[in-house]
Amino acid sequence: MCGIVGFFDKSGGPAPVGASALAMLSTLGCRGPDSAGIALWGQEADGLVVRVKLGEGMDVAARRREIARRASRLGRARVSASGDSLLRLEIAKADPAELAAAIEDVAPDVEVVSMGRRLEIVKQVGAPQSLDRDFGIGKLLGSHALGHTRLSTESRVDLSHSQPFWAHGVPDLAVVHNGHITNYHQLRRRYEQEGARFYTENDSEIIGVYLARKLHAGASLAEALRDSVSELDGSFSYLAATADQFGFARDPFCLKPLIVAETDGAVAVANEEIALAAAVPKGYRAREVGAGAVGLWQRSGTAPGARPRRRGKAA
Amino acid sequence: MTTVDCASRSVREINEAIRRLVKDGASEILVANPGARHNLAVAVLTDVAITIDGPVGYYAGGMSDGARLTIRGSAGWGVAEGMLSGTVVVEGNAGNGAAASIRGGTVVVRGDAAARAGIAMKGGLLVIGGDTGYMTGFMMQRGRIIVCGNAEPALADSMYEGTIFVGGEIAELGNDTVVSDATPGERAEIRTALSRYGVKGPDAFRKIVSGRKLWNYDKKDLDVWKAAF
Repeated sequence: MCGIVGFFDKSGGPAPVGASALAMLSTLGCRGPDSAGIALWGQEADGLVVRVKLGEGMDVAARRREIARRASRLGRARVSASGDSLLRLEIAKADPAELAAAIEDVAPDVEVVSMGRRLEIVKQVGAPQSLDRDFGIGKLLGSHALGHTRLSTESRVDLSHSQPFWAHGVPDLAVVHNGHITNYHQLRRRYEQEGARFYTENDSEIIGVYLARKLHAGASLAEALRDSVSELDGSFSYLAATADQFGFARDPFCLKPLIVAETDGAVAVANEEIALAAAVPKGYRAREVGAGAVGLWQRSGTAPGARPRRRGKAA
Repeated sequence: MTTVDCASRSVREINEAIRRLVKDGASEILVANPGARHNLAVAVLTDVAITIDGPVGYYAGGMSDGARLTIRGSAGWGVAEGMLSGTVVVEGNAGNGAAASIRGGTVVVRGDAAARAGIAMKGGLLVIGGDTGYMTGFMMQRGRIIVCGNAEPALADSMYEGTIFVGGEIAELGNDTVVSDATPGERAEIRTALSRYGVKGPDAFRKIVSGRKLWNYDKKDLDVWKAAF
């Protein structure tokens, strides 16, 4: 199964989207008890906000220090929060690809789980409620957020295999997916031959890689979503967002549920209406989207043509 | 009217409370604060009027036999699935598989229905006031579907029997279907059915029935099967 939720505040924020996403996600815990995560687009940082998985190493404190030291070589860096699993780093004016490479070089199981001017992802094994306890995600303000609860069907249960997935190489682009991408192995082989790196064995990871490649090739997010409906195979309802855009796509056979409620103030999307009811005041009209449908909303005050800045090498 | 409040009750407790009221002879029951939860008012086997005051999740009113259910909101997947008799009226939109496998009774969706509405229907009537989704009436075996709005692709794919009427545009017909105009007699029947539930529809309808070519295996199809496998 898996549960996916998305909440987009039409005012452009700052709005309590962390609380909205958390409330929605908590209702879908039963769709996926294995892990939970939230991606949230908050206040724009001066440089980049980076969340790093510290990995399984014996000395987590030493890894933290080493990551901070390497990041500081590339720009003014500050570790602003850190638990046992994820470290949050702010850095001014660094090249994203260079920064990710420097951090991930610390150890094989160190991974940048999100990077962006506005995006941050928190995720871990366990139920949605613990995201608030461990990361205070319910208090974060922003313009939009995505959430995921995972029922693992074919790859391992750990932080890296949890969603949301940041699309490595494209700051601020993240995805949550419910379903199964059946041409995953075929696409992955092709993309790896062309130099893409995969961090997990989770078929959902391919969506972020797919979208990142489309954007790097010059497509808009709207075009990429539309193309994905025929170029990805299998069952999928997925949500994708950048710093300024929030969208969904659904497979042509409607194999996975996707319900949308749009009001004057917000858009809420989820697998089940119980999640919409948790975030949208009464009086909304829920509808299940059609076969192969895509949807896209633009953040208030930004231009539709705005694309993630191309910096560094393509993933 | 007696009320069952869903707040702070499990789904099992809600359904047990409904059943207790029915057993005690209640003729009208209001289910308050449903919060879009799943499996509400399932398997009610008595003629009783139940109103759910808000949206419901999956399988609302499923497996019921005789109950008259009104949902003041939208419904998730499989509303009224496997119903034997009675009515289920959805005031809003319905998710995938509305009226799946019903054997009798009437399901009314005042808004739009999503994919595979009326899948494997074995009897009864499904009325859709708005548009209907992909593969509506897929493998339908008996009964009727009336769609006042438009139909997404693969309409009536591989239906065995039964009849589907569509008032709006048909994006694409499914496999093995035959389409014609509804006769004046059929249009009168449709009008009667719609007016009973206060649903507005157009005057003219297209009628879709099975082409019956998929009923039997044809030796000429051997190459198709070989290619498929």
